[in-house]
Amino acid sequence: MRIVQQMIESVRRAGAAIVANKLRGGLTTLGIVIGVVAVDTTMTAVNGLANNFARSVAVLGSDVLYVSRMPWVFQGTFFTFRNRPPLTVDEAEELERRVESAVAVNPTAHTFKDIKFRSTVLENMDIVGTTDRHMLVSSAVPELGRFLTAPEVRYRKFVCVIGSDIRDRLFEDIDPINKTIKIGRFSYRVIGVMEKQGGAGMIGGPNFDAMIYIPIHTMIKAYGGERRDFDIAVRARSQQALEDLRYQVIGEMRKIRRLSPAEEDNFTINQMDTLVGMFNNVMGVVLLIGMLITGIALFVGGVGVMNIMFVSVTERTREIGIRKALGAQRSTILVQYLCESAAICLFGGLLGLLIALGVTELIDRLLLPASISPPIVAIAIVVSIGVGVVAGLIPAVRAARLNPIEALRYE
Amino acid sequence: MALELQEVTKTYGSGAAEVPALRGVSLQIRSNEYVAIMGPSGSGKSTMMNIIGCLDVPTTGRYVLDGEDVSDLSESRLARIRNEKIGFVFQTFNLLPRADIFHNVELPLIYAGMRPGKRRSLAREALERVGLGDRLRARPNQLSGGERQRVAIARALVSQPSILLADEPTGNLDTVTGGEIMSLLDRLFEQGHTVVLVTHEAEIARHAHRIVRLRDGLIESDERQSEPKRGLA
Ligand SMILES: Nc1ncnc2c1ncn2[C@@H]1O[C@H](COP(=O)(O)OP(=O)(O)OP(=O)(O)O)[C@@H](O)[C@H]1O
Ligand SMILES: [Mg+2]
Repeated sequence: MRIVQQMIESVRRAGAAIVANKLRGGLTTLGIVIGVVAVDTTMTAVNGLANNFARSVAVLGSDVLYVSRMPWVFQGTFFTFRNRPPLTVDEAEELERRVESAVAVNPTAHTFKDIKFRSTVLENMDIVGTTDRHMLVSSAVPELGRFLTAPEVRYRKFVCVIGSDIRDRLFEDIDPINKTIKIGRFSYRVIGVMEKQGGAGMIGGPNFDAMIYIPIHTMIKAYGGERRDFDIAVRARSQQALEDLRYQVIGEMRKIRRLSPAEEDNFTINQMDTLVGMFNNVMGVVLLIGMLITGIALFVGGVGVMNIMFVSVTERTREIGIRKALGAQRSTILVQYLCESAAICLFGGLLGLLIALGVTELIDRLLLPASISPPIVAIAIVVSIGVGVVAGLIPAVRAARLNPIEALRYE
Repeated sequence: MALELQEVTKTYGSGAAEVPALRGVSLQIRSNEYVAIMGPSGSGKSTMMNIIGCLDVPTTGRYVLDGEDVSDLSESRLARIRNEKIGFVFQTFNLLPRADIFHNVELPLIYAGMRPGKRRSLAREALERVGLGDRLRARPNQLSGGERQRVAIARALVSQPSILLADEPTGNLDTVTGGEIMSLLDRLFEQGHTVVLVTHEAEIARHAHRIVRLRDGLIESDERQSEPKRGLA
């Protein structure tokens, strides 16, 4: 009861003290403000990127293996991989026959061409040669029209399905279906538009929305295919079956390529795990930088608050003497100054939170979907109060230990 | 017996810088006495008041307050005793400048852990007793010196202490205002309070029933006054 009363009294006094020293308090809390903005923005960015990444993972599928020449994330040097033979469509078809436990096997290849509709040209766009099985290994679906069909792939039709970014940039308000666009020197009929996927573009991953899908055999016929590097997507029946599938695919690929037991694999199995690892590294760096800025800002802010509290204690030495003469305990004075320090920092923290809300809004509009969640608000509050308590501790102890007679005599 | 000092000494500093402020003082003050302490500057009056007020402890000797030996208590216990048994009135008023006078008077009760309802009515009552019941929300710097000292007296008596200690309560006031403060102390004495005051001025000391004179840290004389002065100076 007694201590609660005294705390209420302390918080009231702290509020009054802040109001009395608006400017000084405001300036000193700048570090806290920046610290809270930094911690909140970091958390928000990490959350946003993680959500974004989760969507990409969903698109690529966490139950899909990709057989490729190169690993997605290098370990070792580029030269060890450079002399590997490229994967071919024949190998993909051979693999499909052998690996019966897979849901689907789908080869893809990429080429970069300028595309054109009427007078609009987009340069160097990512053209994906693929098959109708793309629908079985990816979760993406057309939002308009349809995807490529098996006959279109087999008979090398000049049709294409475009990503939503391409639609926006090339057609604007025009209905793209059955319009003709040029990819390189060849004309294609647009048969579908993929729904917007968002994706890993932000962290340097592929931007699926800016891709154009054409039948793989059309690609070979139109742009050549002998030395083209294919990726082969192999989808497992379930995530649990992925590891078994992986060994099976490695075994079959080695047989297809007639590798002797002594030879190393001259292909790589990529899977989402690798990307997840890379993503975690990126996040680790973002977090580290964010925490570093936060730490420095909070440290500077904390030192500032400690300083202001020392000044405050010295200025009010006599007041402390009076309080002690009236029967204030050491603990009462201690709590009073800790509350004051915490309140100053909380004020800074709330200001920082307000700014962070603005920054988040900006990120949301310009970069990626982001929002401040209740845990982030809680972190801001807890962190600022915590800094206040730590920064106020030494000044508060000094105040609490003042000798009442000397404090009363202080001019 | 309200309080008793037994052979109390107080020495400041140590070694060569040692200053003996009190050199063996014995004094008994009964409940509802009105005592003035006089003496030249540096004779140890404030030092004695600090010990009586439990702001300080004797170097040697015993101090018994309300039957309890308080010569050697912890800081925390002393704070508790100050809160419950002592009411201070200072020469320089010593009000909290940022708080209104109501809060100033309420403060000892907050430290006593009293519930808000009760302490508010007691604080209002105390301010009414000193004639400031209509200025509750005024700040100290909006009041005259005499009014500030009345606030200090209200604060000193709000917790119904055993003793009111006043160290030169009129030292910063003119004669007329000082007289008003003294008549207020007189009235509190008549209502049953024990009052101990320090003063330089013989006129002020004449309000008391008993005058204790200090010199060089020792009691020089301790006399009763048969006809104390009453009312305004
Ligand atoms: N904190 C201290 N440290 C050292 N010496 C002190 C201290 N406080 C008081 N003294 C000394 O003790 C002696 C008594 O001081 P005290 O303040 O009790 O005198 P006083 O009678 O109240 O004087 P005044 O009438 O001027 O207020 C003086 O010599 C003073 O210098
Ligand atoms: Mg003195």
